[in-house]
Amino acid sequence: MLDVSDLVTAYGKIEALKGVSLHVESEKITCLLGPNGAGKTTLMMTIAGILQPRRGSIRLGGTELVGLSPARIVARGVALVPENRLVFPQMSVLENLLAGAYQRSDKAEINVDVERMYTRFPHLRERHQQLAGTLSGGEQQMLAVARALMSRPRVLLMDEPSLGLAPLVVAEIFSIISELNRDGTTIFLVEQNAHMALQVAHQFFLMEQGRITFKGTPGQLAEDEVIQRAYLGTRRTAG
Amino acid sequence: MVDFFQNTIDGVMIGSSYGLLALGFTVIFGVMRRLNLSYGPSIMIGGYLGTVLYLNHGAGPLVVAGAVVLGAAIAGVYVERLCFAPMKAGAGIASMVSSFAIWMQLEQAAILVLPRHTYPFPPLATGATLEFGPFFVRIDHLIMLVCALGLAAAVQVTLYRTRFGLALRAIIGHPVAAHLVGINVRRAMLLAFAAASAIGGVAGFLVLAVDQQVTPMFGMWATLKGLIAMMIGGLGSVPGAVVGGLLLGVIETHSQWYFGPQFRDLIAYVVLFAFLVARPGGLFGRAPSPDITTPQKA
Amino acid sequence: MDFYFGLIQIIGVHTLLGLSAYCVLLTGQVSLAQAGFFAIGAYVAGMLTVIAQWPLVPALGVSALVAGATACAVGFPALRVKGLMLVVATVAFGEAVRLFFFNFTYQVQAGNIRLGPHGGEGFRQIRYFPENGWTTLDVMLFIWAVVALVMAGLWWLNRSRAGAVLRAVGEDELAAQSTGINITAVKISAMTVGGVIAGIGGGIFAHYTTHIEHVQFGVVLATFAIAYPILGGLSNVFGTLLAVIFIQGFLIEGLRFMGDWRNLLFGGLIVLAMNVRPRGLLDAGAMLALKRLFFSRKERSDA
Repeated sequence: MLDVSDLVTAYGKIEALKGVSLHVESEKITCLLGPNGAGKTTLMMTIAGILQPRRGSIRLGGTELVGLSPARIVARGVALVPENRLVFPQMSVLENLLAGAYQRSDKAEINVDVERMYTRFPHLRERHQQLAGTLSGGEQQMLAVARALMSRPRVLLMDEPSLGLAPLVVAEIFSIISELNRDGTTIFLVEQNAHMALQVAHQFFLMEQGRITFKGTPGQLAEDEVIQRAYLGTRRTAG
Repeated sequence: MVDFFQNTIDGVMIGSSYGLLALGFTVIFGVMRRLNLSYGPSIMIGGYLGTVLYLNHGAGPLVVAGAVVLGAAIAGVYVERLCFAPMKAGAGIASMVSSFAIWMQLEQAAILVLPRHTYPFPPLATGATLEFGPFFVRIDHLIMLVCALGLAAAVQVTLYRTRFGLALRAIIGHPVAAHLVGINVRRAMLLAFAAASAIGGVAGFLVLAVDQQVTPMFGMWATLKGLIAMMIGGLGSVPGAVVGGLLLGVIETHSQWYFGPQFRDLIAYVVLFAFLVARPGGLFGRAPSPDITTPQKA
Repeated sequence: MDFYFGLIQIIGVHTLLGLSAYCVLLTGQVSLAQAGFFAIGAYVAGMLTVIAQWPLVPALGVSALVAGATACAVGFPALRVKGLMLVVATVAFGEAVRLFFFNFTYQVQAGNIRLGPHGGEGFRQIRYFPENGWTTLDVMLFIWAVVALVMAGLWWLNRSRAGAVLRAVGEDELAAQSTGINITAVKISAMTVGGVIAGIGGGIFAHYTTHIEHVQFGVVLATFAIAYPILGGLSNVFGTLLAVIFIQGFLIEGLRFMGDWRNLLFGGLIVLAMNVRPRGLLDAGAMLALKRLFFSRKERSDA
């Protein structure tokens, strides 16, 4: 589905991504693990077109995404739920959802999708007139996911959806992630909370210092001793 | 007492021009979070375009009005391309300094085209007045007030009822997130800038028509009055811009009446200073907005 | 020759103006009040030498004190706000000062003429230099002695603990506060030092032009003051000097032959400079490159 190959992104002279290659399979949940500063968010921002890579390619199906504007990339079917959610705080929940459908012009279908989001996230229906900035962290995360889904993406990118949320809310978010996937959405997830990720993801990549250092299934991940110690050992409440 | 009310009425009328200027400023500042010192000079360019058409081709008020608005919008786009579009996030102050440089450039361009200090500008209603009992208002002032209220309403509706408004408010909320939902942020900003300068152009046309003359100094005057009115009313608030403008007008006319013309501006600045310190958000503003003019790190 | 001396005088005085804005900028504050402090310095020093018949140096000292005290007094309320709010608050202050001098008249009879500020007509006949037989060269040397002193002082300040504190506040107020720095005190100190420097600069300005009036101290001068350090870069005091030479020497004097077309190019070149070097001409990277240049030369000469 989504193919990243030999991607290099730099801030000035410092390369944050040093030739990253990975593959996100259709209708699966792919998870990227890694410590702070490994370049995970940089990768997400590069795929979404916010950052320009120095080299390499990002292909969705057969089309090259590198060089397209963020708006074009959304139109091609890639939506990112950004780190820290970044909902539009001074806009209502409904307006946030409509902004998510900015690339679409099928008004009737958009309204159907809004209704669909309200069904999936009942909290949002209750608060549809409320300003997004006044929602709780968990509700903002749901809104950010719903906003991304409003563009009807072929691939949903999620950057640390569990960041700063209470354990119960994290569990809820992850159950929504697997639910979305069961309905056929391809998901590419960045997480530090390896325990939660292990329960939902089908495929894992590990990124360290701008490079992919491990690739495998949940089983292989759980067996790998180094990873055990670094990511699964004592970090039960990570994130 | 009659004097007091007549002064207040005059203040509201004059203030409506400040409100119009503040309206354009508010749109630019709201979306960009940056200070455009060339805002007034862009309007002045529009004014000069209108004057040239009037002097050389005998254009009527409507054509002149169109020329002022168009000229201001084009100058605004020129400013945006040079001073705002290329500057990265966090370089707000580089934008400000650049817009100052363009200010000098636009002023010089106007002087090159029309080298005398003042030129006539076609009047709109040659000072005719309407009387209401003991009070009277100038017709051209009344037009100004109606335009201010009408345009404010139009801006408010655009912001809250249209797709373009949704995009602008998304950019104001979170520029990166606006990119992520598929909004073409650079184009939206350019359009907002052109629209804001065009609103300034409307203000410029009306003020110049009342004054019946145009000078290169108009640019600085427009920037300062618009800025002050915007700050009194509250950053990023459309009703605030208009109310701030009206209030500034009222403060000015009363100070002039009680303390004489030489103290009018002095008192306006002192009031502004006190206002900013006591109520930094302005009348309608929310908490002080993120600090975009912070200098970039050395 | 006098033309060049005159130009060098202008560059010196504008460097003082730019350095006064530089001090405040280090703490992350954009102040457009510097022209106001400059005006206060000019009027105070002028009145002391013309009306009170003081010698120049003590007059400059007093003008520095008055401008510094004003800056300190304005700083307390003004520095409660930041960013654009501070920009506008300081514009308001600067314009209020200008309009104050527009309305300010205090004249004494001296023989058959009246001396002192006279409202909108300004303050003429500040003839301390010609009356005391200073040549243009003397004036130029005096100005640059003052500039050198101020630059040395700021250079030293920059490298001391105080400089680190100023920069810490400029980089991240919250972080600075959490390390126990009193942000308000730091900002007001910077504002006061800026006021002192602007006061000295204004005092000198009044004496070499011999005629000051309120229009000289408007928003345009205030914006120039802030443009110098921004264009030059904040990494050290020489950036400001470089920017003053670039603007006053090259763009204004050097392009004079272009006549009316000068300002068109002037604007374009500043915009170009800000686009190419948004952090100023002498930013941290440029300083590093310069240091390397000098360092490698030394190595070669050692060998």
